[in-house]
Amino acid sequence: MVQERRILYEHLDVPDINTFEVFRQHDGYTRFEKAIAEYQPEELAQMVWDAGLKGRGGAGFSTGEKWSFVPRDIEPRYLCCNADESEPGTFSNRYVLEKNPHLLIEGILICCYAMGIETTYIYIRGEFTLGKKMLDAAIKEAYEQGYLGENVRGTGLNINIYSHPGAGAYICGEETGLIESLEGKRGQPRNKPPFPAVQGVFMKPTVVQNVETLCNLPFIVGNGVEWYTQMGPTYGDARFDPPKPDPNTGTKLYCISGDVNEPGVYELELGLTCTELIEVAGGLRGEEVKAVIPGGSSAPILTHYELDTRLDFTSLTLAKSMLGSGGIIVMNETRNIVDCLLNIMKFYAHESCGQCTPCRWGTPWVRDIVQRIADGEGRQTTVTRPKFGITESGRWGDTGETEEIYEDLDLLENVANNIANVDTMTWNTICVFGIAVSWPAVSYMRKFRPEFEAAIRESKLVTLSVAEATVPPEENYAYQQRIIPKEMADLE
Amino acid sequence: MSEEIIQIETPFQFNEDNKREFDELIGRYPVKEAAMLPTLHLAQRQEGYITPAVMKYVAELLELSVMKVKDVVTFYPMFFEEPVGKYVIRICHTLPCALRDCKVVLDHLKEKLGTDVASETNLAKGTTEDGKFTLMKVECLASCDVAPVIMVNDDLYKNLTPEKVDELLDNL
Ligand SMILES: Cc1cc2nc3c(=O)[nH]c(=O)nc-3n(C[C@H](O)[C@H](O)[C@H](O)COP(=O)(O)O)c2cc1C
Ligand code: SF4
Ligand code: FES
Repeated sequence: MVQERRILYEHLDVPDINTFEVFRQHDGYTRFEKAIAEYQPEELAQMVWDAGLKGRGGAGFSTGEKWSFVPRDIEPRYLCCNADESEPGTFSNRYVLEKNPHLLIEGILICCYAMGIETTYIYIRGEFTLGKKMLDAAIKEAYEQGYLGENVRGTGLNINIYSHPGAGAYICGEETGLIESLEGKRGQPRNKPPFPAVQGVFMKPTVVQNVETLCNLPFIVGNGVEWYTQMGPTYGDARFDPPKPDPNTGTKLYCISGDVNEPGVYELELGLTCTELIEVAGGLRGEEVKAVIPGGSSAPILTHYELDTRLDFTSLTLAKSMLGSGGIIVMNETRNIVDCLLNIMKFYAHESCGQCTPCRWGTPWVRDIVQRIADGEGRQTTVTRPKFGITESGRWGDTGETEEIYEDLDLLENVANNIANVDTMTWNTICVFGIAVSWPAVSYMRKFRPEFEAAIRESKLVTLSVAEATVPPEENYAYQQRIIPKEMADLE
Repeated sequence: MSEEIIQIETPFQFNEDNKREFDELIGRYPVKEAAMLPTLHLAQRQEGYITPAVMKYVAELLELSVMKVKDVVTFYPMFFEEPVGKYVIRICHTLPCALRDCKVVLDHLKEKLGTDVASETNLAKGTTEDGKFTLMKVECLASCDVAPVIMVNDDLYKNLTPEKVDELLDNL
């Protein structure tokens, strides 16, 4: 069985690790001190790039590359730490904030030094009252110990960290929504470009980084790039000649929930498969895995046939899904996929910020269609127009066959694809929330079509809590075998 | 909304502690407007909900129009514009919690409290007659590993069952 590799979470359960004193006993702040003593800021930024660190918040963008877009001649620059963790199925940042907030502060210090930043705002989810309390206490201690404030530890650096509470809007996790919200406005995302790296909060260059991403920095500095890149696979991107290295390095705080025996956060090297992760999480609760959502509710669903997919950025992108926030939701054979989709679509319909028409109208529309299907009122027509072919009498003519048309399924796909087209990956919206809506909608529908058709046909009533599956598993399997390519390209 | 048409019965003001906290807050940002969310949180903690008087006061503090404050208040689900119960119970009903039977807990809460679920525009619907509890559904609370979960005011309660809910409510 794959072993846990605890790095970020290594000291999580040490009693009182949230205090400066105990944190210090476990190498606390020594990595920051090493960074200052041994490296120039630019060298650090290069190190982070070389380590292949990718953003853990959702987009999976290379952190070092993002830093390289920040103009170093415009002052002041800001760091916004994204602690708005609200993607359904994700809960790893919460534990860092509640139990080991000094680790985050150390990560922030390293980032601030590398990027010449003096002010950091930690945008923390409004509901995280305990997290904010622990974090604020840690920040206070860090000020007292001289790791924050003016002239940090006599180095001449000025670094301030402020926590800033959100107020319950999911869209404030999107980086430009976060910035607007931080500025005291409605959290409505901005058009990009300009990207936050160039014009972010208060129109100044801003680095937006997830909690987990920042927590990786002390370990990259402390143990070196070579040590870091040994964890997780590095693939070769074959579109380039010679293949460009595509690092998926480091560990990931996988959050696993749903139908497993021991849900929780497991820190593992990137690149294990779904099956392996389920095993680590105490195995499946149920008989068979029906589906897995690999990266928070926005990610396209994986079926029974795709459980060999490795849970890293590249492999999941090739499987037309994403690692996203690393929130893995497992469903067993008894679950009704229509109901699961309904639950998720209710979430998105509620959380659309309302700026763009396709998203504001399209998302509730998708929800209503799924609701209709789930309520057994899905629209379907049996078409009896002449269908030409060889008739029973052996002649060319009307065969008398009828055709079932599931109008609502076509409509569902059409509406979703007009919010954001999942095949061409283009969106008619300001932010990629649009994709987060159509991705699940279209992928659930395409991969579990027999179940959607059955729900429409059989008018079986389903309810809020996830109801029983409407078709026997075999029916889905037979269909999925046809549509899902058997072998994923071997990567390494 | 212009300032004239807001009916303000009793003006609102921060108490000593909150005023001090506000003064500290405002120094963190290059523009005053950025202190909006923390300021509204402070005000809501003091007053229970965001009244027109609160909005007017916050607008004055941050040197903005009342409309701008109202604009923000209406956007965020955590700010209430109506009175709520002493205990606000937030129950998560997103997929991971649904897979762990949050419906059972929700039904039990509804029955036990004898109230419906509040909607964002009608908080009274989910508030008990004695004004003690307000029940509302929320989206994922980032605790799916210990689902189903509820939050009572600032505290999170995990792995709930109807029995645990009974015990919890009896102790409040
Ligand atoms: C709708 C939406 C919601 C998001 N929610 C979060 C979130 O809760 N936490 C987070 O860290 N990133 C979230 N992101 C991703 C951020 O936009 C951004 O990519 C990330 O914070 C960058 O940090 P990273 O590079 O360290 O991952 C969200 C993105 C979108 C489109
Ligand atoms: S896509 Fe949706 S959430 Fe994003 S800006 Fe447009 S309306 Fe808002
Ligand atoms: S779904 Fe309920 S806490 Fe995440």
